[in-house]
Amino acid sequence: MGRSWGSQAEFESFVDGGGIVEPGDDMPDEYRDAVFRFIELHANSELMGGLTERDWIPKAPGLRRKMAVLAKTQDEIGHAHLLYMVAADLGVKTRTQMLEDLFAGRGRFHNVFHYQAVTWADQVAIAYLVDAAALISQQAVFKNCSYGPYKRILRRIVAEEGFHMRHGEEMLLVFAEGTPVQREMFQAALDRWWWPTLHMFGPPSRPDDALLRWHIKSERNEDLRDKFVQKYATLCTGYGFAPPDPELRRDAETGRWVTGEIDWAPLKATIANLGPDSARRIGDAARHWEDTRWVRDALEAVAA
Amino acid sequence: MTSPRSALSDRPVEADRSVQNEVRRVLGTVDDPEYPGVSIVELGLVEDVRVAEGGARVEVNLVPTFSGCPALAFIAEDVRGAVLGVDGVSDVVVTFVATPAWTPARIAPSARQRIGADFGVAVQLGATPPACPRCGAPDLIEQSLFGPVRCRSVQRCASCGEVVETIR
Repeated sequence: MGRSWGSQAEFESFVDGGGIVEPGDDMPDEYRDAVFRFIELHANSELMGGLTERDWIPKAPGLRRKMAVLAKTQDEIGHAHLLYMVAADLGVKTRTQMLEDLFAGRGRFHNVFHYQAVTWADQVAIAYLVDAAALISQQAVFKNCSYGPYKRILRRIVAEEGFHMRHGEEMLLVFAEGTPVQREMFQAALDRWWWPTLHMFGPPSRPDDALLRWHIKSERNEDLRDKFVQKYATLCTGYGFAPPDPELRRDAETGRWVTGEIDWAPLKATIANLGPDSARRIGDAARHWEDTRWVRDALEAVAA
Repeated sequence: MTSPRSALSDRPVEADRSVQNEVRRVLGTVDDPEYPGVSIVELGLVEDVRVAEGGARVEVNLVPTFSGCPALAFIAEDVRGAVLGVDGVSDVVVTFVATPAWTPARIAPSARQRIGADFGVAVQLGATPPACPRCGAPDLIEQSLFGPVRCRSVQRCASCGEVVETIR
């Protein structure tokens, strides 16, 4: 049923020419592994993000924010569900295997979910900065991704993330125009989230990056990061907040923002699931998985 | 421009009518936050537009897809912004009404088609499950009653394998 290509070179020229790969196609193993790992990372990150968001439902200030956090939690768990289905279709791991790897600390998820959100201002910084960074990355993938089912799911995800970002902007304005205490709270949150957000785009892409070569991603990590910095350094400083980078400056000639040197050690720690809050996050997720086992058992019993 | 509150008795009515038409036109440019490119008019959210005070005051009644929808405040804000752009309008009141209830049947046929083609989201009308928005086969198998948003469920197409969501 699926298509096949005579050689890897033919497959490569197919994706180079903007061809879209479907699950039944005879894709090279290297492509299958690369696209699978990418979607698995995204699915895990949506799930871990949703569980983090969930913690703030009872603590959100006011009914409107509570509705927004509830909706965001549902969005993220729902995205994870769709993405796990698409990832499982690649036949590398089943959904249960992916979840069990994640809860056993063998899976990977985005670095930003390896840190603790200390105050509500952290949630605002996450919605304002992290959601914006995620959207920049996802928009770039959506535009040119060669894997059909993922590209089609991303279309919906990007529309919904745009809506999260709008919540972030609205919440930021409350803090930016707020009392000195609120402004201090947001500055403290910015101090905690600025660097992890820059790390989220990943280290500079290698010239032989499989994701770029296979057109799973279309833009280099450093280019996407730069896009974020140009926009958000302007916005944050415009609101009178200071990103925690003493070397952050505007280049006198180009007018573009230049950051100080990025320390990659914290990102490496999160990739190894050894970030500041990794153990608690993974432990909490594993506990949720255990706590809800009876639901899965009941559903299976009904289905049997 | 003559003031809408002119002494001529028929003027306000005329002004009301042209403002009414213009308001309906700009509402057609307000997209739903979750379906960029699909307007709130096409989704059937606009129940009623009333123009008062010779076109200075506009009341827009909207029907939410469901009452707990987190996008309501943004939709109201977008409607207010768009309607305030209409010449002569200085006051806009947006109300979400509880009746009639919104149903997928309120979505315009053209928008149903676009939601399917652009977003891979099917629309369920009545009790019959919709066809797969990707391959057209009537073989959607329920995976979850709730998807990323509360007004959509998740299916898989048994024919082409696509992961689909349905507005119901």
